[in-house]
Amino acid sequence: MAPARRHSGDVGILGYAESAYEKKTTRTLISMLAEVARGALASAGLARKDLDGIAVCSFMLPPDNAVTLAEQLGIPVSWAYLGTAGGAGPVASVMNAVGAIEAGHAKMILCLAADNYDIAGHYRLMDFFNRALISYATPNGFGGANGLFGIVQRKHMETYGTRRQELGRIAVGQRASARQNENALLRGPMTIEDYLDARVIADPIRLYDCVLPCAGADAVLVGTLDRAPAGKGIRVLAGYEQHNHPAGEIAPLHGGWELFRDRLWADAGRGPADMDFVQAYDDYPIMVAIQLEDLGFCGKGQVGAFLAQHSFSFDGSFPLNTNGGQLSCGQAGAAGGMIGLVEAVRQLRGEAGPFQVARARCGLVSGYGMVGYGHGLSSSSIVLERVQ
Amino acid sequence: MTKAPYPAPRADADNAGFLDAWRHGRLLIQSCGSCGKSIFYPRPMCPYCWSDRIESREASGKGRIVSYSLVHRPNDPAFNDETPIVLAEVELAEGASLLARIVDCRPEDVGSGRAVELPPLPSCTRYPLPVFRLARDE
Repeated sequence: MAPARRHSGDVGILGYAESAYEKKTTRTLISMLAEVARGALASAGLARKDLDGIAVCSFMLPPDNAVTLAEQLGIPVSWAYLGTAGGAGPVASVMNAVGAIEAGHAKMILCLAADNYDIAGHYRLMDFFNRALISYATPNGFGGANGLFGIVQRKHMETYGTRRQELGRIAVGQRASARQNENALLRGPMTIEDYLDARVIADPIRLYDCVLPCAGADAVLVGTLDRAPAGKGIRVLAGYEQHNHPAGEIAPLHGGWELFRDRLWADAGRGPADMDFVQAYDDYPIMVAIQLEDLGFCGKGQVGAFLAQHSFSFDGSFPLNTNGGQLSCGQAGAAGGMIGLVEAVRQLRGEAGPFQVARARCGLVSGYGMVGYGHGLSSSSIVLERVQ
Repeated sequence: MTKAPYPAPRADADNAGFLDAWRHGRLLIQSCGSCGKSIFYPRPMCPYCWSDRIESREASGKGRIVSYSLVHRPNDPAFNDETPIVLAEVELAEGASLLARIVDCRPEDVGSGRAVELPPLPSCTRYPLPVFRLARDE
């Protein structure tokens, strides 16, 4: 007997789209959002008149918001959502969209994420990200997220014996996938030696632990699965978000995933071993490692051995961030929290071409973000399954 | 050529006492009059119990490094000639933890677990936020 599910299973993802990723762009944010809005509808075979809800995650969008975006796009909506959870926001937006449809607030919701900045823009964003960072981190020359996650990574290495040789397998495996993905900004070959010997950024963080800030947009369309194109519906089995856990720690070695992990797998009626791929939030390999621990793919503190046992390219023993992820495609601001959703849908629809995972039926997507005083405050995860 | 100024904290009613004390080389830490916990950064209410009975006390300045990174690429150019910035999670003897620079040291001498203390006046007050040095009598 199937276990009880918190969600009906009648709602899912009907379409998806991704813009070109660019190191620098002259495009406006609205043009990028409009492109993926059209693209997501086209991939679902639906029209703008079918939409009645909108969600958007973007750091550069203010002073605009979800409602003014609806005006710019010319669509009346009965439900509007503005993500506030950084890289955890897009996955959370989809779960909120599922809930809104189940509650009757809307029938068809476009979930968008985009940013149009570059490296300099990213630095400015981090220095002024929130009040705690402005007043208590930026005056220390903290080096943005790199400085903070250097503290986290060193603590994980010293607490559990995790080694850079192990963490590097994530970056190397994802790069192997990116070499097949024409939309990845970083497609050159990478060996473990390249990773280990790369330029120091915020020791122990080196260059290939870091993402390349870039411009890009991603979108998914959420609605009832009876509207999905034949054979292309993607069911949302389960999903959760968690914010500010653990409270009061500067550099924790765990995150909100550990609080909802058991509910997530119980609701999905699946476990870690059932996943055909994982799209984890990869701002840094160390945070991928912590996600894998917290979500139960291995025990806490045991991720080093787990990483040593597996290979992480799309055709490896543990397909991870199968388009190359943010580490190779680039981090398009808040769209870094949606690139994994789009890639999961692409894989489950069997449309990933040269980086298609064989027999991709079910997968996990995870988000993380909103760096506060020391670490990312927000975590989210969703389990998706191809409609048989 | 004059050195670019460090980015400054935004002063407000909640942190004015803390920032003013540091201009005189003193480290003020809040503690909760209800639950007794130490609090950093300055807040108008205790994040552990929501009491507004917040007291500020001068901390000993003694603590230990929990973990750290060596920042070779700081965001703001004001730090470019001071790299690597030793950015540490410091646990104070009073219980609160904070992010702070470890200054006046060779980066290779820094280690997790090492004791730290406030540097002597007046050199330390040129920094906009409290900094530490490796303890001399460790």
